[in-house]
Amino acid sequence: MTTDVDRIEAVPAPPMDFPVTVGWTQAAMAVSSVLSLNTPVHLRMDIEMHGSLLIDFRHHAFSWSTPLEYFPVDAVHTGLSTIPTTADAPPYFELPGQDLDGLLWEMGINSFGGGPAFWLSPGERYRLTRWPNLTRHSHNMRQVQMIAVLGNAYVSTAELAAFAGVDESEAQRLINALSLMRILTRSAAEPAVEVAPPTAAAKRSSLFGRLRKRLGR
Amino acid sequence: MAEHVILFTGPMGAGKTTAIQSLSEIEVVRTEASNSERHIVDKATTTVALDYGEILIGAQEKVRLYGIPGQKRFNFMWSILQRRAKGMVLLVNSDAPDPIGEMIFYLDEFRDLYDRGGVVVGVTRADVVDGPELTAYSDALERTNPGLVIPVFTVDPREREQMQNVLLALVVNIEMRLAFGMATAARTV
Repeated sequence: MTTDVDRIEAVPAPPMDFPVTVGWTQAAMAVSSVLSLNTPVHLRMDIEMHGSLLIDFRHHAFSWSTPLEYFPVDAVHTGLSTIPTTADAPPYFELPGQDLDGLLWEMGINSFGGGPAFWLSPGERYRLTRWPNLTRHSHNMRQVQMIAVLGNAYVSTAELAAFAGVDESEAQRLINALSLMRILTRSAAEPAVEVAPPTAAAKRSSLFGRLRKRLGR
Repeated sequence: MAEHVILFTGPMGAGKTTAIQSLSEIEVVRTEASNSERHIVDKATTTVALDYGEILIGAQEKVRLYGIPGQKRFNFMWSILQRRAKGMVLLVNSDAPDPIGEMIFYLDEFRDLYDRGGVVVGVTRADVVDGPELTAYSDALERTNPGLVIPVFTVDPREREQMQNVLLALVVNIEMRLAFGMATAARTV
């Protein structure tokens, strides 16, 4: 009979079998696959200089010694392994851990180099199903504005970028993150909403813009 | 002078007065009196009329912040105030017996603002008790107003930056609903 500790130590592949990767794209792909398949597994990532990052999907939690405020954008991953579990198995680490959404936000923003995540398809429009808990994630006001757009209409990445006045890669990073957090719906059938990007005069009349400036945000 | 009225609502003890203090640039006008309902919330005083604070934007524009008494016997004021309001920050404390029920109660009372998308929900004391997950609040909102995506955040009303985030999210969501919501509605008519 094996304990859970035995199982955790026995299953991960030796680090030498894992191609060392830099950045978070491969990690995001692994997380997306696990979430999509709803597979009963934990995930362990070994990250140079930052120790092991453990994810317990069943409890929507992760454990990592590196605080998200110091999220290493160019992390060197030396190992990534899945650990099979069951619905009644004990948690992967002592709960509560940290809310997985915070990690998925950072991972999504900082993967795919500003290009579309591999699970997204050309021609899609996106809409938000719930707001991310912004008081717990580092963010800027351009992202808040884009999230508000996504909360009120189906838009493509290009339309979102045009409306918010940001580079398409910045809009794409946000789409990737919200999609990884599974709080976007996608549709290839939704038509474009006929709203022109705000003019300079419209920007001046925006209370959001003036208040943001007033508050130094 | 252009004025924008933002209401702070929610049950007694949710942190409305504290939230306004965190945001206001003037000393908050408070109207607290002894709490006659200590069997409901154990705090010595509570708001009996209005709390008032403000943020000045330039010389000709201000955001007025009104805290509304949480006790339900004051609800005669609520319908008057929501007609003037641009938006509402609804605070519910996670350690209440039924915080989601409280949220729904206040959204029903302020249905006009809710239907306009002029609401942000702030869940307070989420770090001190093991209350409902945020997704439970969002799911309840979806059931009461399908298709309307209202921001729900955990907040500490003492934290100025967090309350600024809440206020800015409220304002930008109202503006985007006006821009896109109307366009979507026009297309579906």
